[in-house]
Amino acid sequence: MDMISEVLHLFLSLDNFLAIALGVVIGVVVGSIPGLTATMAVALALPFTFTMEPVAAILLLVGIYKGGMYGGSITAILIRTPGSPASACTLLDGYPMAQQGYAKKALKTALYSSVIADFISNIALIFFAAYLAKIALNFGAPEFFWLICFSLTIIISLASGSMIKGLLAALMGILLSLVGLDEVYGSQRLTFGNYNLMDSISFIPLLIGLFAIPEIIEFYRKKALPHLKAKASGVGMTLAELKRCLKSIIRGSLIGVIIGAIPGTGATAAAFISYSDARRRSPNRDNFGKGEVEGVAAAEAGNNGVAGATMIPLLSLGIPGDVITAIILGAFMVHGLTPGPIMFQENLTLIYALFVGIMFSSLVLLVVGNAAIKYFSLIADIPKSILFPIVLMFCVYGSYAVNNDTFDVWLMLGFGVLGYIFNRAAIPAAPFLIGFILGPMFEDNLRRSLLIGHNDLSIFVRGPITWFFIALTLGSILLALYRYFAARRQAPSNTTQETS
Amino acid sequence: MSTWLPKRSKAIRDPGDVMSGCVLLAVSAFLLFYLVPNYISEPPILQNPMMSPRWLPRIVAGLMIVFACLLIAQGLLVDNTAKEDGRRIEKGPRLRFAMMVVALVVYVGLFEALGAVISGIMATLILFAAHPVRTWWVYGLAFVLPAAVAFVFVKVMNVPLPLMPF
Repeated sequence: MDMISEVLHLFLSLDNFLAIALGVVIGVVVGSIPGLTATMAVALALPFTFTMEPVAAILLLVGIYKGGMYGGSITAILIRTPGSPASACTLLDGYPMAQQGYAKKALKTALYSSVIADFISNIALIFFAAYLAKIALNFGAPEFFWLICFSLTIIISLASGSMIKGLLAALMGILLSLVGLDEVYGSQRLTFGNYNLMDSISFIPLLIGLFAIPEIIEFYRKKALPHLKAKASGVGMTLAELKRCLKSIIRGSLIGVIIGAIPGTGATAAAFISYSDARRRSPNRDNFGKGEVEGVAAAEAGNNGVAGATMIPLLSLGIPGDVITAIILGAFMVHGLTPGPIMFQENLTLIYALFVGIMFSSLVLLVVGNAAIKYFSLIADIPKSILFPIVLMFCVYGSYAVNNDTFDVWLMLGFGVLGYIFNRAAIPAAPFLIGFILGPMFEDNLRRSLLIGHNDLSIFVRGPITWFFIALTLGSILLALYRYFAARRQAPSNTTQETS
Repeated sequence: MSTWLPKRSKAIRDPGDVMSGCVLLAVSAFLLFYLVPNYISEPPILQNPMMSPRWLPRIVAGLMIVFACLLIAQGLLVDNTAKEDGRRIEKGPRLRFAMMVVALVVYVGLFEALGAVISGIMATLILFAAHPVRTWWVYGLAFVLPAAVAFVFVKVMNVPLPLMPF
């Protein structure tokens, strides 16, 4: 009873409600503007949270994440431009529906499916995070070492294009994370005598530079494209249609939960698996791809089912499941909190307050999503030529605010140029970020294990948990290699088909 | 004179990957053989070489060399140029890009000297002119927005910024 009152005391503040509402609004608005991503919005919002209470700060970022997930589908449906890779699946049926004059129905279907899936995902988060954290309390440094190894191998799956490039990006991320004073010996590592680098590379300029600046550079480098306008017209979703889609939505949500709980797998895979599952089971399977309402529902359910579940490994193990949760992990750290099993012991009320807020964000998404459908044209009609100078302003102000030093602005621009080079060379930025976050954890747990084991390497195979994670790591590597070679085998056959 | 070039480019399936691989190989080698030994100091007594501050950077740089070589090999053997991976862009006018660079220079060069508001106004005006934005009232936003955003940072969120030079 005391716990409940403490949680309510922590959650029931105007700041938290405002943070959730503002977060979801920003997420939907940003997600529904082609070219702006939820990742960029979360990165830019991070400096604003410095002086906020931890619960409000995290809820703001979670709100942006959830709003962005839905917002991305608006542009996918209306102008065939997915706001996020996961929304590409919504496009398959959403855009044909819009062309047939059922844009509003498609948008409402996407919204209701997103909200239901989000709600189911949140429940999964509440039930499984605590359970997993309880198991993780038995972990020592060697177990965490192997868990991080497993998470690092998962990076391969984050490398959407080339596995080799993904691994190179991750290694570069790990390397840059090591810049600064060594925590054990206090010796300088690649600081070149610069005192700004002694406290390691700041996370926020890196984040902003990597995810916002390349878009800006690309916009001014590319030939200007005509600004697309779209309108959400037609009728909404009927109750009968919602009932017809409900099974697909629930199945899609569960697929999203399972996939989201595995670090690195991501919403795109969940959306496509959910879509193909719904297509296989639906009596209207022939209509899929031509404007089937169930197709939109399944894709969105899979996509949003991931949102809450990606927080499971983050909160219970301290391992980010994707790029946005990696940024949220950074937000926890900014506020002096370290997600993981210990947080469940030391900050349980905070975690429960977050859970309440995350549940509440689903309701806010419903309200904001409905308004977004109504006022979408107002949001999407803002041209990028006006938006990007504003985004750049946020980038500069936000980076400077970290340490009140122009060095961080330089750093942000440096990472921006690096991100742009990554884009040009098709090197994915997500593994770089995950590597940057996991690098110090890897080294820290390796050294602690060696100290605990008095330099005896057998500590790394000390029990069933370590063996379990070793097996997972090896399995993950083998699976990635299998997928890599399977894709290679498939590529020539596709080329042959195309030429014939 | 030009006979060997087309043949060689035919032999290289993906010149982009080969170039990326070569750059990364050079960077990794520089890191492993020059930066790690010279810019990471090691304590005189170490109980285990794995505890050394140089150990992980060395491993990472070594792995980078291996994967950079694999990337070069991939570029020589596999053609990924048809992939829609964002490598191809239709370039716009150079002046537009140059003006964006000027805006960035204004931000980093004048942010502390002129303050967030004035440097923000200057950079935003340059970026609006770079596109160019043809609606005259939008230029008014270049004056209002930097002041409003700086106000939100400083007064609402209590995040300090240098507002003005005076």
